[in-house]
Parts: sequence; structure tokens; C-alpha cells
Amino acid sequence: MSRIAFVLAFHAYALGAIAYLALLSSGREGLVWTARVLTGAGWVLHGLGLAVLLSPQGFRPHGVAQSLSVIAFLLVGLLLAVELRTHAPVLGAFVAPAAVAVWLPALWAGPADQALAGPARAPILVFHIAVALAGLAVFAVATGVAVAFLLLERQVKGKRFGVLFERLPSLELLDGLNQRLVIGGFVALTLTLVTGLWIAARSDTARSLQAVEITTAVAWLVFAALLQARLLAGWRGRRVAWLTMAGFGLLVLSFVGTYGPGGVR
Amino acid sequence: MSVALVCLGISHKTAPLPVRERLALSEERQTALLQRVGAGRAEALLVSTCNRVELYRTGAAGDLESELRTEVLALGGEEALAHAYLHRGEAALHHLFRVAASLDSMVVGEPQILGQLKDAFQLAQRVGAARGELARVCGAAFAAAKRVRTETEVGRAATSMASAAVQLASKIFGGLGGKTVLLVGAGEMSELAGRHLLSAGAGRLLVTNRTEERAVELARALGGEAVPFPSLERALQPADVVVCTTASPTPILTRELVAGTLRARRHRPLFLVDLAVPRDVEPEVNTLDNVYAYDIDDIQKVVAENAALRADAAARAEALVAEDVARFLRERAVREGVPVLAQLRARAEAIRKAELERALANLPTPLTEGQAQVVAAMTSAIVNKVLHQPTVKLRTVAPGAEAHPLADAVAELFGLDPSARPTGSGES
Repeated sequence: MSRIAFVLAFHAYALGAIAYLALLSSGREGLVWTARVLTGAGWVLHGLGLAVLLSPQGFRPHGVAQSLSVIAFLLVGLLLAVELRTHAPVLGAFVAPAAVAVWLPALWAGPADQALAGPARAPILVFHIAVALAGLAVFAVATGVAVAFLLLERQVKGKRFGVLFERLPSLELLDGLNQRLVIGGFVALTLTLVTGLWIAARSDTARSLQAVEITTAVAWLVFAALLQARLLAGWRGRRVAWLTMAGFGLLVLSFVGTYGPGGVR
Repeated sequence: MSVALVCLGISHKTAPLPVRERLALSEERQTALLQRVGAGRAEALLVSTCNRVELYRTGAAGDLESELRTEVLALGGEEALAHAYLHRGEAALHHLFRVAASLDSMVVGEPQILGQLKDAFQLAQRVGAARGELARVCGAAFAAAKRVRTETEVGRAATSMASAAVQLASKIFGGLGGKTVLLVGAGEMSELAGRHLLSAGAGRLLVTNRTEERAVELARALGGEAVPFPSLERALQPADVVVCTTASPTPILTRELVAGTLRARRHRPLFLVDLAVPRDVEPEVNTLDNVYAYDIDDIQKVVAENAALRADAAARAEALVAEDVARFLRERAVREGVPVLAQLRARAEAIRKAELERALANLPTPLTEGQAQVVAAMTSAIVNKVLHQPTVKLRTVAPGAEAHPLADAVAELFGLDPSARPTGSGES
């Protein structure tokens, strides 16, 4: 049943992403609701599918396919919340295609159906994974917003007034949105690291730090430096957008290290 | 019957500001004027904005034009009348539609005029000066304006340099609400820019000028604060938008000077609009992070792009307006045919009834009720068949017709008065 819901949701996301991209290129107001309805319907179906799939697993996604599916779900949920709050539906053109791209390999990978051992269903581990995936989704949206900022800033600086200049919201709105998302993502990332360290400390087997943990810690440092520069020194704009993208790149590396070939999980 | 609408007015295109000011009336005087001009069977509408004063009048009675001329003469004197324009009939209708669609505005596509026109109409309705025909005309004009706004890009275009600057500022800040504007220079261009930015919502205005008295004077006129010219660097710290219009032969805002303020500004975006020739802002300033410097050529590029967009949009908007005027006239023409038809049928019905009664009374032997009904039905059928073709013709108007082609002829032929309400059994 969840498989059917996922396939339907994926198609709704893909059509929604096309509608968002068409909105960006044409500016037709009618596409706003088309994109929202398609993406929203896909999100509801996706949520139902995940509930059916994850409830027997204690809501802990297992394997790369399920994790990617959860990230895509969180990404789309966040996108809908952000675009409704900021009244900037065109941001969907930067996030919805990313959600489709994230989920596509998961659909191909098929369901992960290994039985989970007792410790794997421990609440702290479920929380650790949930907050890690949520953080990744928040930073993905922040990166989409940073890309939109850089593209618009390039046009404003270069005095070239193309489609993006016409359609995107103001630089100040994009920059402020990036700040709020980075703060949210940073909180999630901090919780991920703290719970990860706590789980590692309680583990019976002693082991040294792995590349994944080091990469995540470096990403945390990048975002910590970014927030400090932003909040204390007033940094904003282009430099902050680049740092957001760099930090997110490190988190993607960490995710690949965790779930990719030869990953720790 | 053509449209009995007359428009007498002055606008930014025909009259200078002092003349327009003379015709600016308080609401009480507007009310009194509307009650006077829109009395009896006439209807009236007064459009009074800072760019135009127009008096519209409709109705069949009286000399519309000369009465309007008398009113304008009384209000603004000979000079106002000399700057006035007069539109009659369809031209007046077309003018009203263009005004509503913001095609006759100083800034083509500006949105305020439709609201002002609606206010004017509401006032006319409140005082009883706009009732039937004028309400239909205004309703159609508002619908045409809405169509122009939704179906063309005309409303999106900024036209002047100041509005181009506002457009760019909205791309950086999202809006000027609460933003601080610094005017460097206190000339006419600075004043115009200041007024425009304030009307676009800027929160605080600072003015600086080498001659401090002029800065103080302009600041007072615009409700801002004067800043001594040597404190320019300090004045840059709270500023979000800076408009430079001085006659300085060398740049006033150098890269070094602006870069020195960035830390104190906590890297808030700074939008520099340099309308001076030679330039007041060093071009290298634009390379600084979060600083967006536009010189007069850059701004003119935006104006030119807007103008190109506007010309295209305005042409389409003009076509839409012409289409809507034609539709309104066609519908009106159909409405013109209806009262004539109603009267014609009422007249025929009255004749039928009278002749039937006389014929029945003249019969030597009275008919039974059933026989009388058969004869009555036969007379009704004759009347209906005779009037079938005129009915069809009076309910149809050819595309492009400005008035009903047959309404006047039928009225003349049968001695009907189309402006009078039909009596008797009326239209079937």
C-alpha cells in the first residue's frame, strides 16, 4: 500500500516541480495553485505512505532508501511552510526539483525490509536519526534559498534584469529567510552531534572517530562560524550564502559516508 | 441615439499645476457641484485628482456643454476654460475608459487612478447624481480597467527615474517601508526623488548639501532632517537608499569612504542611486559586498526597458479599452431597442383590445364565451405575427454598431417616445 502511495506522491512532486519551474519562467499566477495543490497532495500521500511503512519499525527509517524518502518528505513540508509564509511561491522552483532528485534513487532502490534489533529501536537513536534528517532537510532548503539569493544578487549587481530579477522576492527577504533556516538547521545539527556522542559513549564497543563524524563536526563548525559572523559581526548576503552552500556540501558528504557504499549504517 | 455623455476637464496634459490647483475642490463643494449639475434627468460625475479635474454629464435634457462650461468658468475662470478639453458622445466614453485604465495618467499604469475614480463615483451615487446610465458607464469602465490590469503588463511598468529607483530598491529591500533615505544634493531632482521615495513608503529622510541652508530648506519641505555636509560619512550609516544629485566635478562617495562605513552599518544592504553628471559615486563602489550602485545610465536602462514594456502593454491595453467601449455601446444599443419594442407592442395590444371590444359589441348576437376566446386568440395571433419580424430586428444589433439602427426609425414611424416608460401590457 505504501508503495502505491509513494509512486503517486512522487508523480505529484514531479508535476509540482514542473509547475514551480514553469511559474519561474512564465510568471503565470494560475500556476501557483497548480504547483501548491500538486505538491501538497503528494506530501499528504507521502506522509501516509511513510506512516504505514515506518510504524512497524518504531518510526526509525532504515537504509538509504527510507532515509532519502524521509528527507524528501521533510524538504517538501518545509518548502510548503516557507512558501506560504513568505508568499514567495517561486522558491518552489529551487526546492521542489531537489526533493524529486533526492527521492528518485530511493524509489529505484526498493523497500528495505531487514528486521531491526532491539537497540536499533531505542528512542534516543530514533530521535538522533529524525533530528539529523530534519537538519539535513532544513539546510537543503537554506541552500536553495542561498542559490536563489546568489542568482538574484548577480543580476542586481550586474544590472542585468532577466527572468529571475522579475520573479524572485527581494534580496533582503531571501537573506532573512536564509538566516532563520540556518539557525533552525544549526539547532538540529547540534542535537544530532550531542545525541550521536551520547550514543557512542554508551556503546559497548570502543572505536575511534570516523570520517563521517569528523565531516559532520566540521560542518557544525562552519555553521557555528557563520552564525557567529552573522549575529555578532552582522555578516550577510553573498558571503553567508556561499558559507551555507559549503556547510551543506559537507553535510551531504557526511550523509553519503553514513548511507553510501561502505557507509557506517 | 448616440451616447449622451459629455466630458469637460483639464489634466496634467493640458493645464499647469496652478490652474489645476484652482479647480481642486473640497468634498462639500464637490457635493454641491454634483447636486447642481446632476439634477433632474441629468446625471453627473466629478473626477478630481492632483493631475486632473473632469466633469462628466449625461442626460437628454438641457444643453450639457454650455452648462458644464458655465460651471468650469465659475470655478477656475477664463484661464481654466482655455486649458480645458471637451469630449462628446463616444469620445467621452472612450476617454473615461482610458482614464480608468490609467492610460491617460502621467505615469501610465499607475494604480491609484482607478481607486480615485471609484471614490468619485461613490460620491456621485451618494449625492444622487449618478443613478442609471452613468452607473452603467462607470461599471463598464471599471471592468475594462480591471481587464487591462490583469491581461496586460501596463500596471507593472515604472516610468520615471525615481520610480525606476523605487522598483530597484524593492528588489533589494522588498519595500521602502521604514527605510532611511539620504539625499545628497538639494536641487529640484533631489526634491522629486525625495518626494517619490517618501510616497513609496520611505520612513526617514536625511538631506545633506554643500550649501547647508538649501539642505535645511528641502528637509523642511519634505519633512526630513538636514545633515551637515562634512558629516556625510556618518549620515551613510543609518541610510538604506542614497540619492546623489550634486554638481560636484569629482566623485563624493569613493570606494574607500563607503567601505569605511560597512562595518558600522553591520553590512546592511546599501542602494546608491547616482543621478548626477559627472557622477557622484565612484564606479568601484559597486564591487563592495552588499552595496548596489546605480548611475544615471543604469537607471535610464531600467526606464527604457520599462518604457518598451509599457509601450507594448499600453498598445494592448488601448485595444482592450476599444473592445470594451464597443461592447458597452452594443449592449447599450440593445437596451435602446427594448423600450421602443415594448412601446410598439403595448400600442399594438391596446389597438387589438379596443378593436376586439368594438367588434364584439357590434355583433347582433353576442358570442358565447368559448367563441369570444377563439376570436380574441385570433387577433393576438395576427398582432404577434405582424410584430414578429420587428421584434427580432429590435432585439438584434450588428457587431460594431454604436447605436440601435432601427430604434429611432421605429419610434418615428409609429409615433413612440423611447425615453418614456411603456404602458399597457408591455413587452411580451
